[in-house]
Amino acid sequence: MATPLTPILTAHWDDPDSFTIDGYSRHGGYDALPKALAMEPDAVIGLVKDTGLRGRGGAGFPTGLKWSFVPQNDGKPHYLVVNADESEPGACKDMPLLMANPHALVEGIIITCYAIRARHAFIYVRGEVPHAIRRVAAAVREAYQAGHIGTNIHGSGFDLDVVVHSGAGAYICGEETALLDSLEGRRGQPRLKPPFPAVAGLYASPTVVNNVETISNIPYIIRNGVDWFRQFGTEKSPGFKLFSVSGHVRSPGVYEAPLGITMRELIDYAGGMREGSELKFWVPGGSSVPMLTAEHLDLPMTYEAMAEAGTMLGTATPMVFDQTVSVVKTVTRWLEFYKHESCGKCTPCREGTSWMTGLLETFEAGHGQESDLQIIDDICHQIAGRSFCALGDAAATPFPGAMKYFRDEFVAGTHTSADDAFNPVASTVLAGASTR
Amino acid sequence: MTATIPVPADSSPPPVDGVSITVDGVPMTVPKGTMIIRAAEQIGVEVPRFCDHPLLDPVAACRMCLVEIEGQGKPQPACAVAASEGMSVKTQRTSEMAELAQRGVMEFLLINHPLDCPVCDKGGECPLQNQAMEHGRSESRFDLEKRHFDKPINLSAQILLDRERCVSCARCTRFSEQIAGDPLIELFERGSKQQVGIAEDRPFDSYFSGNTVQVCPVGALTSSQYRFRSRPFDLVSVPTVCEHCSSGCGLRTDVRRSTVLRRLAWDTPEVNEEWNCDKGRFAFAHAATPEFDTPLVRGDDGILHAATWPEALERVAEGLADARGRSAVLTGGRLTLEDSLAYSKFARAVLGTDDVDFRARPHSTEEADFLASVVAGSGLGVTYDQLENAPVVVLAGLDPEEESPIVFLRLRKAARKRQLPIASIAAWATPGLGKMFGTLLPTAPGAEGEALSALARGGDTLGSDGRRIAALLNEPGAVILVGERLATCTGALSAAAALAHTTGARLAWIPRRAGERGAVEAGLLPGLLPGGRSLADAQSRAEVAAAWGVSVDDLPTKVGREVDAIVEAARAGAYNALVVAGVDPFDTRRPDDVIAALEAVPFLVSIEVRPSAVTEFADVVLPVSTITQRAGTFVDWEGRTRVFGQVFRTSLALTDARVLAMIADELDRPVGRQDVAGMRKEAAALAPSGSGRREVPSVAASSVSASSGQAVVSTWHHLLDEGTLQRGDDDLAATARTAVARVSAATARAAGLTDFVTLSTDAGSLDLPVVVTDMPDGVVWLPTNSHNSNVRRVLGVDHGAIVSLASGGGA
Amino acid sequence: MGELPQVVRGFGTTFVTMFKHVNTEQYPEAKDKFPPKPRFHGRHQLNRHPDGLEKCVGCELCAWACPADAIYVEGADNNDIARFSPGERYGRVYQINYLRCIFCGLCIEACPTRALTMTHDFELADNGREKLIFEKADLLAPMLPGMLKPPHAMAPGTTAKDYYEGTVRGATPEQIADAEAQANPEPVVIEGVVFLDSEVTQ
Repeated sequence: MATPLTPILTAHWDDPDSFTIDGYSRHGGYDALPKALAMEPDAVIGLVKDTGLRGRGGAGFPTGLKWSFVPQNDGKPHYLVVNADESEPGACKDMPLLMANPHALVEGIIITCYAIRARHAFIYVRGEVPHAIRRVAAAVREAYQAGHIGTNIHGSGFDLDVVVHSGAGAYICGEETALLDSLEGRRGQPRLKPPFPAVAGLYASPTVVNNVETISNIPYIIRNGVDWFRQFGTEKSPGFKLFSVSGHVRSPGVYEAPLGITMRELIDYAGGMREGSELKFWVPGGSSVPMLTAEHLDLPMTYEAMAEAGTMLGTATPMVFDQTVSVVKTVTRWLEFYKHESCGKCTPCREGTSWMTGLLETFEAGHGQESDLQIIDDICHQIAGRSFCALGDAAATPFPGAMKYFRDEFVAGTHTSADDAFNPVASTVLAGASTR
Repeated sequence: MTATIPVPADSSPPPVDGVSITVDGVPMTVPKGTMIIRAAEQIGVEVPRFCDHPLLDPVAACRMCLVEIEGQGKPQPACAVAASEGMSVKTQRTSEMAELAQRGVMEFLLINHPLDCPVCDKGGECPLQNQAMEHGRSESRFDLEKRHFDKPINLSAQILLDRERCVSCARCTRFSEQIAGDPLIELFERGSKQQVGIAEDRPFDSYFSGNTVQVCPVGALTSSQYRFRSRPFDLVSVPTVCEHCSSGCGLRTDVRRSTVLRRLAWDTPEVNEEWNCDKGRFAFAHAATPEFDTPLVRGDDGILHAATWPEALERVAEGLADARGRSAVLTGGRLTLEDSLAYSKFARAVLGTDDVDFRARPHSTEEADFLASVVAGSGLGVTYDQLENAPVVVLAGLDPEEESPIVFLRLRKAARKRQLPIASIAAWATPGLGKMFGTLLPTAPGAEGEALSALARGGDTLGSDGRRIAALLNEPGAVILVGERLATCTGALSAAAALAHTTGARLAWIPRRAGERGAVEAGLLPGLLPGGRSLADAQSRAEVAAAWGVSVDDLPTKVGREVDAIVEAARAGAYNALVVAGVDPFDTRRPDDVIAALEAVPFLVSIEVRPSAVTEFADVVLPVSTITQRAGTFVDWEGRTRVFGQVFRTSLALTDARVLAMIADELDRPVGRQDVAGMRKEAAALAPSGSGRREVPSVAASSVSASSGQAVVSTWHHLLDEGTLQRGDDDLAATARTAVARVSAATARAAGLTDFVTLSTDAGSLDLPVVVTDMPDGVVWLPTNSHNSNVRRVLGVDHGAIVSLASGGGA
Repeated sequence: MGELPQVVRGFGTTFVTMFKHVNTEQYPEAKDKFPPKPRFHGRHQLNRHPDGLEKCVGCELCAWACPADAIYVEGADNNDIARFSPGERYGRVYQINYLRCIFCGLCIEACPTRALTMTHDFELADNGREKLIFEKADLLAPMLPGMLKPPHAMAPGTTAKDYYEGTVRGATPEQIADAEAQANPEPVVIEGVVFLDSEVTQ
């Protein structure tokens, strides 16, 4: 095994009180805070910039750079908004993190707000996870009681309020500007950019929107420094990352490893493929990125290597599928999700996803027209790059990727239903892979 | 009147930064911030679009206008990307990427669009239809089931929605939110189920709702009035000017076979931009057809009988024969400038009287002096553009949303885009003021003059808001707008003029009716001759006599009476004859007195379009053309002449001016033919010469106060109410605001008011629901002429009068 | 002498013709013997759905297509009180001016609902201009068995689409009962005051 796991955020998840302030403090929690408060805010930004930390929400935008876009001394309030609206199919890293180590996030928020001179921070948590919301809210409450949040934090003169906000469960609200609209009490729909949130975000004021995992990295970076952080990962993708491996592996779960680990290693860590099954295809970062096959198992999981392979690292939440799975059915299910979650603002996504889903369902049912494959492909091209936000692009991703490797299965959908071709029970946990 | 067109005031555009770009290889320089779609229009390239509208904020939702920008891998929406230096844009004409993107979006737009063009009102003038022909496939590739909704559903009594046709461009919701400030419609649901809707208990009762039908790029929004009535290719469109208020909106009147089928806002950037109000759009039934076929002459049996024009004119001549100097002329505020001039001339030169007044509404001598000195002959004064760019606008006795909706839209636009400070001197903060983000300077009725004087003194007595506004008023370009009801507040107009003088702010008078400013220009006030000249001034008399082609000696020299005095004099038998044009006695302060006067006068000529309270008593009724049958000119509140042509060119109905010319001929005191062209020449000849300006009034402000159990009435009209010109459209009336009485909490408590209040005077009483409002104590507000709230007709009082309050039993 | 034989020859030609096949059609005596060709363009007809509702939706496309400007249509709203066609819209006014009509049939091609077709009736001469402007009542197809004279409701449970797809085959008992009820309105009593149906809905 070349690449060892690097439990940092996840180091103490198995402590019974990992989610409490005591549990967090026992392992050096909140030590980074005084250190950061003693620094100049710009120095904190500079430090984060130097680490090369890239956003963990999917796009991989350099975090320090994003912070430095916030105009200073503009007289407007600044805001930090933490995007905890994790709703990508297959992604399950932010919620466990919120459940098991919420104080890393809270401490990260305090340091980030100090750096970007924000006096208010919002944690926008997806509405369907009340248990996670309770954990975060409790953590914030504890931090208030401990004096980490509030007025004049530890005598530094720095004031901060943190609000935990529950969304209503729309996928689009994970898009940063739609999230801001939702937070302001409007319908969650993406905003026209420019202006970018860093200039006019929440309540038309400079706002930084960061993913939970990104912010949770901050205390560890402050505590251990740039060099420590850069020892993990690669030059362009430094650091460690939560990989939530799901699907037909023996032990699906969250594995924290340096960027650059290969999928083969991750599958091994996850106990290998389940009994008697062999890998058919996998996606590196949720349903919004093109799928890969066994030939790609040895690629390093970095932003740049994945892009080279024609896909994206995304949220780094690999889904693994074995031979019992119908590609047609999988893609159809994903598209049904995108159709359901399309916000309706722009035409390509609104109309394209519903049309594509309608056509894919005919293939899943075994009465597709082969000529419709061309239409679906056209639809994907008519959505990609033309929709208002990245959700449209995401919806246009699965089909062309699937067609690249599994065109035959779609052609089979002209006469055989997906359920006939692939016994649906066989891919579930109810059946050993050997049943087929 | 060309006379009132002055040199355009100091409106040289400020220098703008230009950026050089190329569109389809054509180099051009456009102002910084210009969207690509606008730049392309300049070289005649129309990028297809749905959500884009030049007056709405860009949203880039429909994605129809995607174009290629060199150096960018993805096509970009032309409506939302501003031109930047050196940008090279390729539209669908030169870029395959743009062409393909547009075709793709068009295909998407059509997959769920129902194929009901044959029964859709938009068919034939539909942007979706047109652009589908240009950028769509000839055959659909979509053979799944289309999306279905129940259709149509009512958003309000007059706006219907067909959700299947909607392309979710959000023009309607954005208009309502951004322009009108009535966010009563919103998009609901998501994905392909997204639809426009209203809250369950709040219909789309916006004064501007009709605009959404006009901006809808598909047939999703239709009006109950025009629904299925016609096809675009049936219609003959005529540019017209709205006859309702003094905003001066340009309209497009669509006609088929001698019937007006609909009216739309005409793109008039300097006035109404591309909008108008629902009254202007939907209330045109009044002009459908004249309700008189022939002149009517009262017979010996006391009944009006149809008569020929020669018979009727002969009878008029008989009746007016001995009326020279013993007659009066009441014209009302709805005449065109041409007709107003004709009445002005007829009264002075033919009847030899100066007892002429257009103000068929509460008025005062102070107002007449104000109009004669400040307004008459002042030409194009404050303009819409100046309003938009002013440092502050003070509204005195004016609620623009109710009284001049386009002024409201302009003020809201400026308040929204550049935080124009607006202050209102009124009893309470109306919804309109809220939508203009304005400040209320709370003022009880009658105290308006005092409030204006206080602003002149620095606003200290009006609190911090007052001080702020008073300071802003000293900045160049500040504007004071005064409304019609200041006529009833003693000293208020004097104070407004004084405030303008002290601060250097510009002053404009915004009347409610389209013809009032024109009537002032035409001299339809006692002592006032056309062009702001004074009757008392010899040179003015000479100029006017020359223009009219009469001897100076034919003109009266004695300054005449105002409406109230005319009414008194008529009842006292001072007149042998009265000539009345479009006057409704119930618009006046004391309707009973007016009716008594009409009854008392020996000979009454009514020149009218439709039967009215005046024709009931008239000895002769001379029918004139409706607004659609005549050409003319309205002078809007700015002083801008708004010329319009005849909608029905084949109409033989006569204008007032022609009828007066015929009467003059019959009386052997000919005044010429008085056709529209002739009257316009006359208007030019009467251009203001600056001679004989009257003194600006300086009446001391006084205030009224109510004793216990009483309250001072504050009242103004709702835009949609029981006005004569709004008759005949029930769906429009259904969107009117409900009449309520507003009192302060303390007043309500003192009078023991709970749900309903009974307001009473000697003349009668009104029962209205009570709404407790933040307003001065001892004041009650109610709409002037709404359903169940006819202040003048029932109570016989007006703004500033005292009424008794008692807890009411409910209606 | 030379002239006479020529005359005789002429009569001879005439005489011979008497035994040749005659092309003249005896009109109007024998018009039934010579019906127009199947695709003859005769007088127009406004067709009905099998339950009697009109097919015309008042879209005016016929009027738009007409090169002679012979057609005049005004649409109107169907509503719950008076329904003349399936769907939202019907033709309230329908006129064809046969002084202008050139029987080109472009209106037929334009009609989206197959409401307008042409019959074989060509006997349109009359002695007054106004008589040659045919109104909707003159153009509507006759009521066939199974049809119910509009206005009446659509067949229960159907949409306009069902009508266009031809699944409505004739007036249902419910429609007939409805129409009868409308023809003989039962008085509606509201708080002791008696209204007729028509008054209530006004």
